[in-house]
Amino acid sequence: MRKLSFGKAINEALNQEMQRDDKVFVIGEDVAEMGGDFGITQGLWKKYGEKRVRNTPLSEAAILGIANGAAMAGLRPVAEIMFADFITECYDQLVNNSAKVHFMFNGTVTCPLVVRTVNGAGFHAAYHHSQTPEAWFLNVPGLYIVAPSTPYDAKGLLIASIRNDNPIIFLEHKLLYDMEGEVLKEPYTIEIGKAIVKKEGKDATIITSQRMVYLALEAAEELSKEGIQVEVIDLRTLFPFDKDTIFNSVAKTGRVILINEAPKTGNYVTEISQTISEEMFEFLKAPIKRITGLDTPTAFAPKLENYYLPDKKDIIEEVKEIVEY
Amino acid sequence: MNLSKRVLKELYYNMILIRDFEDIVDKYAKKGYIPGFIHLSTGQEACQVGVMLTLKETDYKFPDHRSHGVCLLSGTPKEKVLAEIFAKKTGISGGRGGSMHILDIKCRNMGFNAIQGANMVTCLGTAFASQYNNTQDVTAVFCGDGTIGRGEVHEGMNIAAKWKLPIIYVLVNNEYAISTRVESVHSYPKNLSDRAWGYCIPNEVIDGNDVIAVYEASSKAVKRARAGEGPTVLELLTYRWQGMFSGDPAAYRPKDEVKIWKEERCPIKRLREKLITDKIFSAKELDELNKQSLEEIEGMIKYAMESPEPEPKDALKYIYAGREVEGR
Repeated sequence: MRKLSFGKAINEALNQEMQRDDKVFVIGEDVAEMGGDFGITQGLWKKYGEKRVRNTPLSEAAILGIANGAAMAGLRPVAEIMFADFITECYDQLVNNSAKVHFMFNGTVTCPLVVRTVNGAGFHAAYHHSQTPEAWFLNVPGLYIVAPSTPYDAKGLLIASIRNDNPIIFLEHKLLYDMEGEVLKEPYTIEIGKAIVKKEGKDATIITSQRMVYLALEAAEELSKEGIQVEVIDLRTLFPFDKDTIFNSVAKTGRVILINEAPKTGNYVTEISQTISEEMFEFLKAPIKRITGLDTPTAFAPKLENYYLPDKKDIIEEVKEIVEY
Repeated sequence: MNLSKRVLKELYYNMILIRDFEDIVDKYAKKGYIPGFIHLSTGQEACQVGVMLTLKETDYKFPDHRSHGVCLLSGTPKEKVLAEIFAKKTGISGGRGGSMHILDIKCRNMGFNAIQGANMVTCLGTAFASQYNNTQDVTAVFCGDGTIGRGEVHEGMNIAAKWKLPIIYVLVNNEYAISTRVESVHSYPKNLSDRAWGYCIPNEVIDGNDVIAVYEASSKAVKRARAGEGPTVLELLTYRWQGMFSGDPAAYRPKDEVKIWKEERCPIKRLREKLITDKIFSAKELDELNKQSLEEIEGMIKYAMESPEPEPKDALKYIYAGREVEGR
């Protein structure tokens, strides 16, 4: 199979969906001629013109306002918010509008929109360009959150998201953009809400997403040399998360580690932990553990930032601890 | 503009209908039949009627929180508007939204978003869709003077002007945001809407209690928007007779001020006197319309009162398209 970068896979998904459905349009800051701050929308403006690839001023609330109004009027917007940290500027539109449209209109209107945004630490970009925001949305009924880790999943999940009738926050980790992987040339979808087992194991289950999947796989590789077999689950969709895949693994291993880059308190993964605890308690052989960022903002200096982020060593230590529990 | 007898009759009838509607809502709220917050538009009828009568059913409407009248005139069966306020299953949204959230996609009433200012950017989206689909449908968005303090107004007007979006901003300036007088918290040249100059949007300041003036100004703004010439801000100077919500004694307002607006500037009284003086309708003919309005309201009350309440489990419906949510 042909190889593509994560960024190019997203670009291809956008292009193919715009080709298929003339109701799909792209809107955001610098998305037109420049092709986006990370180059993800490159070539679309030239091909589809200003009507369907629209630059805006620095007005995130307006970007989401346009997306909401247009979605309610029957179009299918794909809005780019340059950094996930900037979502606070359009949080009201997402929380109080996008998420509630279907409910407010008593089921007569849907809000089919995708908000693509760039998240994650490790880029030495400090606290306003490094956050991981899924917990900000988890307590808002009406929203889906999708967060792929491979180019293949990115393309299939973005196409599925554009075709889905719900408002979807689509997270793209900035450190994954250049990662290459096999991607089918033709359009395809991956079902939203389905996780994938990246590595099978019987001793412990790691549940994670995006860049942390790779850290987990590296740790699992090392642990396997010591005879500890770790199962690694890539959630792919953060909400609704795939209970079946998670529960099947927990039933097998009885030990769970959850990894996420955001600060620990109120972290997204805590919801998964609570769900396992409520519904799978009798299978647990050890306490459920979280490996997360610290309860601090993400600092700039590489030494400070690295201290903030979970690393392979943390994962190996925690796995050993629960296996020996 | 020389208005036809038919239009004048509609302007008059719809104003009294809104007045009667608000009186009934107030009465039933105070009797305990209506839960939640109620914002009455009594005294501001001309702002709603004057604009709504210039719009088509395919035009997008974004009412504000004091806009029962806008919802009544959008084309939704009127009894379903009242049933929604009464929290009934037969309400236009099945009792999900109530007084603050009366919306109906069939007649493109996009609803009030109870976060002031939010609609000032959402309205860009429907106007954008009209341009995108190459239709002539315009978007009318209502807001109060208080909303002008929100950042979305700036983001929205800037883009609306630059993209020449077909939007009519209906700024209903009733001088108070709850208890706060507009000039006590805002800086502006002469009129609040003069800020529109900064976005190259034309504004017009109109006596919002003169329904004919509102109708004429709105007609011009709608024509401009349909012709692809972009947005207009209509600032309608008016006053709410009631407090911020039904039950608010509004002790923050001088009694004399309220009295002047009620007795000397009532929009309905003004039109009525004009119609009689100009010999367009007789007092008897207008009284007949008053009677008709009360009869129409009577039917709405009967429907709302006799309608069932929603089933508790209806709360689980329509959270996601194609995904069920668990109940208790």
